[in-house]
Amino acid sequence: MEESFSIPVDLNHKATEFNPFSISSPHMQAFHLAWLSLFSCFFSTFSIPPLIPIIREDLHLSHSDVGKAAVASFVGSIFSRLVMGPTCDLVGPRIASATLSLITAPIVLSTSFISSPSSFILIRFLIGFSLANFVANQFWMSSMFSGRVVGIANGFAAGWANVGSGFAQLFMPLIYSFFIKTNLSSSTAWRIAFIFPAIFQAVTAIMVIAFGQDLPDGNFKRAKKNTTYKDNAFGVLFNGLKNYRGWILGLTYGFCFGVELTTDNIIAQYFYDRFSLDIETAGIIAASFGFANIVSRPAGGMVSDEMGRRYGMRGRLWSLWVVQTVAGLLCYWLGRVNSLWGSILVMCCFSLFVQAASGLTFGVVPFVSKRSLGVISGMTGSGGTVGAVVTQVLLFSGSDNKISTEKGISIMGLMMLFCTLLLTLIYLPKSGGGMFCGSSKESDDDDPINVQDYHLLA
Amino acid sequence: MAIQGFLVVSLLFSCLAATSYGVTFSSLQESLVVTASPKHGQVLRAGEDNIVVTWSFNKSLAAGTDSSYKTVKFKLCYAPVSQQDRAWRKTEDHLNKDKTCQHNIVTKPYSSSNNTFTWTAERDVPTATYFIRAYAYNSADHEVAYGQTTDAHKTTNLFNVQAISGRHVSLDIASICFSAFAVVSLFGFFFLEKRKAKKSQAK
Repeated sequence: MEESFSIPVDLNHKATEFNPFSISSPHMQAFHLAWLSLFSCFFSTFSIPPLIPIIREDLHLSHSDVGKAAVASFVGSIFSRLVMGPTCDLVGPRIASATLSLITAPIVLSTSFISSPSSFILIRFLIGFSLANFVANQFWMSSMFSGRVVGIANGFAAGWANVGSGFAQLFMPLIYSFFIKTNLSSSTAWRIAFIFPAIFQAVTAIMVIAFGQDLPDGNFKRAKKNTTYKDNAFGVLFNGLKNYRGWILGLTYGFCFGVELTTDNIIAQYFYDRFSLDIETAGIIAASFGFANIVSRPAGGMVSDEMGRRYGMRGRLWSLWVVQTVAGLLCYWLGRVNSLWGSILVMCCFSLFVQAASGLTFGVVPFVSKRSLGVISGMTGSGGTVGAVVTQVLLFSGSDNKISTEKGISIMGLMMLFCTLLLTLIYLPKSGGGMFCGSSKESDDDDPINVQDYHLLA
Repeated sequence: MAIQGFLVVSLLFSCLAATSYGVTFSSLQESLVVTASPKHGQVLRAGEDNIVVTWSFNKSLAAGTDSSYKTVKFKLCYAPVSQQDRAWRKTEDHLNKDKTCQHNIVTKPYSSSNNTFTWTAERDVPTATYFIRAYAYNSADHEVAYGQTTDAHKTTNLFNVQAISGRHVSLDIASICFSAFAVVSLFGFFFLEKRKAKKSQAK
């Protein structure tokens, strides 16, 4: 029996329109659940950085300890994002993301237990696992929305979720200050603050399980029985891993989103230490970096879809290259500015471009492979955190500041410029070609299913 | 746009002005003698133990040197071992950029003869190794002299402060209850899902 949807859909029942202010079931409902649950994961992961000036005194941390913990917070998610890809392909994004959120929520609350540098590093490592929900989020959007609007859907879902990192930078110092005013000691005040991200994460996970739906036609287990196409885990995984485009996108994503993650980690401290601001002010400035995600990442997705409509894949790739290159230049400049207001201004522009680049990347990812969508999303998402780890380790973790933070930021900008050039190598024969050549008319052996889907991309 | 430009320029100007004026540590004379009760290496508990500080003007210096001193501010300062690998506690010659002494003890009006006061190490003082330094200010509120409990290389008379942890039993219990709830609700949902699937299959 045909279900009628309150939103226009295509042959696969995927929505062909996207309205972020509606909650029509199941498409827009899935959107809201997806971005909310990922928002809580970002909130949890970045709840620690704004309080580091306080925590480093309480736990007697050195600069290297803080750097190691920042690296650890991303290392956990590299592995978990890779695993999340195939997991979504098998059990569906709803169960995968809710399980991960409910398991990591207690860990967030355990932050109140820690009392030594090594436990600080461990807790950041474990909380970082929750960022794998990003893969589930994008997978869910790519399953619910058709090619015409997948860029904008992915952009809004990830963009609004990324705001969680900005919100944490604003909220945690305020909560801490509130508890300080009630005459608690500094050491107790910061520990209690972690109740908020933990509870929020658990609540969103329960909402996802209770109200979410994997596909337009139902949940994963039921929908699977209708397909005549049988698949196995290794086939899907191998198919994704051998696709070179997944690797390139992973690397370039590492230098837009990865750079964004690293900046989220260091920016509050940078403003606190370099310009001698107090913790709330540094938090507000750092928060504005994350808040730009409300508009910048969706804008990236919209630009990608618009370029895709007019110029096909060539448009999507070129716009990604241009935006990411500008972001690299602004990052380089951020390290060179010496005044407070100049830094804030450049940081705001930088945030717009680097986040738009992330949105543009996931305007390209859904077209790389239909069968191994989860794996490709996982590889790209993982690449993001690899980039974060690499930049964090190379530039912001040396003991006694061998490279000053501002120099590290400039070098990071140069690395972005260099790695973005790899986009020129991507070629999608069936989906519109590459930056310098159009699509070919011969069939591709990569994905032997549903050729009709590709007609929707033009 | 013009207003923003003006704001930027005026802020830049004020930053420049501030840095070009500031007093440097190397320009100060060590004319105060400061001693504190903790012995070298002693561990004090934050919020509980007391420090007795005795200070006076160094009588071996010329008589009128202290005529401009109006107030004396005492600060708890980090010893070099607690500054290692912690750029946020770095020592800089320009006093308004110097981060060595981040905790204020007390401010007293200047008097040249034997003065004493007792101070309880505050609850929020972090665990580290410290010494005490006193800055003498003139009537324009600029530093003009100093004295400290340790020597010029900051190696003698250093004491430790041990902070109390903010962990409480009630917090620990709340965390454990919450973790149990999260895991139980996850399995609860799986169980419910299985039951629903069985019901729909039975139909």
